[in-house]
Amino acid sequence: MIREAAIRFEGARVVYPNGAVGLASVDLSIAPGEFVVVVGSSGAGKSTLLRAVNGLTPLSAGSVAVQGQPVPRSEGRALRRLRAQVGMIFQDFRITRRLTVMTNVLVGRVAHVPAWRAMLNLWPAADREIAFRALERVGITDKAWVRAGDLSGGQQQRVGIARALAQEPAIILADEPVASLDPVTTHQIMRDLVRINQELGITTVVNLHFLDLARRYGQRIVGLRNGEVVYDGRAESVTQEDFRHIYGRDPDAGDVLDGQAAR
Amino acid sequence: MSDAVTRPLRPARNWALIIGAVTAVTLMTWWSGRGIRFSLTELACNLPGGRRLLVESWPPEFSFFPRLLAPLLETLQIAVVGTVIGGILAVPVAVLAARNLTPGFLVWFVDRNFMNILRTLPDLFWAMLFAAAVGFGPIAGALALTVFTVAVISKLWSESLEAIDMGVPEAVRASGGSWLQMLQFGAIPQALPHYVSYALYAFELNVRASMILGLVGAGGIGMVLETQRSTFEYPRVTLIVLSVLVIVLIIEQVSESIRRRLI
Ligand SMILES: Nc1ncnc2c1ncn2[C@@H]1O[C@H](COP(=O)(O)OP(=O)(O)OP(=O)(O)O)[C@@H](O)[C@H]1O
Ligand SMILES: [Mg+2]
Repeated sequence: MIREAAIRFEGARVVYPNGAVGLASVDLSIAPGEFVVVVGSSGAGKSTLLRAVNGLTPLSAGSVAVQGQPVPRSEGRALRRLRAQVGMIFQDFRITRRLTVMTNVLVGRVAHVPAWRAMLNLWPAADREIAFRALERVGITDKAWVRAGDLSGGQQQRVGIARALAQEPAIILADEPVASLDPVTTHQIMRDLVRINQELGITTVVNLHFLDLARRYGQRIVGLRNGEVVYDGRAESVTQEDFRHIYGRDPDAGDVLDGQAAR
Repeated sequence: MSDAVTRPLRPARNWALIIGAVTAVTLMTWWSGRGIRFSLTELACNLPGGRRLLVESWPPEFSFFPRLLAPLLETLQIAVVGTVIGGILAVPVAVLAARNLTPGFLVWFVDRNFMNILRTLPDLFWAMLFAAAVGFGPIAGALALTVFTVAVISKLWSESLEAIDMGVPEAVRASGGSWLQMLQFGAIPQALPHYVSYALYAFELNVRASMILGLVGAGGIGMVLETQRSTFEYPRVTLIVLSVLVIVLIIEQVSESIRRRLI
């Protein structure tokens, strides 16, 4: 049986206008419902890989397909429709601090409601319900009408996750979602992501900086180095030697979260 | 290790540039002063004339005040209409002129130049133009102030828009949002306090300007000022100037307190 991959890269290459190579040539296939953690040193191409999936960064060569649909290379209706099925979570949360939590979460519904309704803030009751359910899933329902900027970092990231969930996406991309959080919050957020993946079956790709987090929460680990996949395997079988290969050096205390907490 | 890190030398000061700039400004001032035959001695000789005017203008003729009420109200109305309509029209003009938000270079280029032309032509020019078009009176004044408001707000606000963090707008796009939704939920909320602040500033300028506009027959208190001045009723002129001063000061106080609350 050939199951349609949730995400499939074929010879994917990204060269930025300044000549920097984001992805050299990536072949990678992610099955529906998988929880994949992408690791690699700074500049390895982790963000580029994620941003290629929803077309924020267009490929220079090769192809990437989401659920069998090739990702369009230019902005337009087709790309917006594809993005509607792909939620994204960012390191810096990227929520509007001045607006309420609810409004921020409803942004996840923009592609699903008629344009004039979003424009006039007349969201259909069904979409408000979806937004509320997304908030319930990350446990901040009580903050619905609070200004997003008044929340703690961990709560703000949960708003980011709820916005992605409100899209009712097939795929969630998380680009270093815990990099600006403290260790305790980090584990809470990672557990949230794993739980959402298991309960809703949403294919999840998470870029992580810390090796211990990658090993602990990932099912599958993909290692990037200089824009190429240099490791791809199950999280429990990844070795110190593999990490050395991915990073091109010995992992040290700076590469594990516990090492940070101990300092 | 010591040779690996050489501290960069502090760049030498560009003395030629500094001396050149100071000389240029001095020469330009001297040349301009001569051009308009500016002379301190002459100024001193003419001071008694100025004093005579001041003495004749004092005290203000307070009994004239009731006849100012209607024109003062009209002035405020002209300013309100001009500020509101101009404030609304300034939104698209500013957005299209912001490099980070504009949909294309051509639109940006045309809009930028349009904005510069609006700003280069003085409000008096617009007042005379509209007076010729729709006849002397408050409508011409309101139209002139509309254009003036667009010029003021769009220039200032497009710069605020260029300074916003593009993270949230990108997140809106990643959720499948269109260009308009990116603006509505990602870009504009960040720069909204600036917009309100500039709109209040434009309103202050407009109340002041509507005094001048009256001189060319564009309605409001300025028209009364012009009649009284041409018939040498200086105590009345003083009263008019004082009442406008008081109104402007009140508006300034109110808008300042609104502005402080926004930030
Ligand atoms: N907008 C851009 N313009 C030019 N070059 C870029 C751009 N974004 C990334 N790059 C380059 O592409 C390469 C991959 O960058 P990318 O951001 O994908 O790495 P990363 O693995 O996410 O790194 P980090 O861990 O620091 O976030 C780097 O060499 C980087 O300098
Ligand atoms: Mg990155």
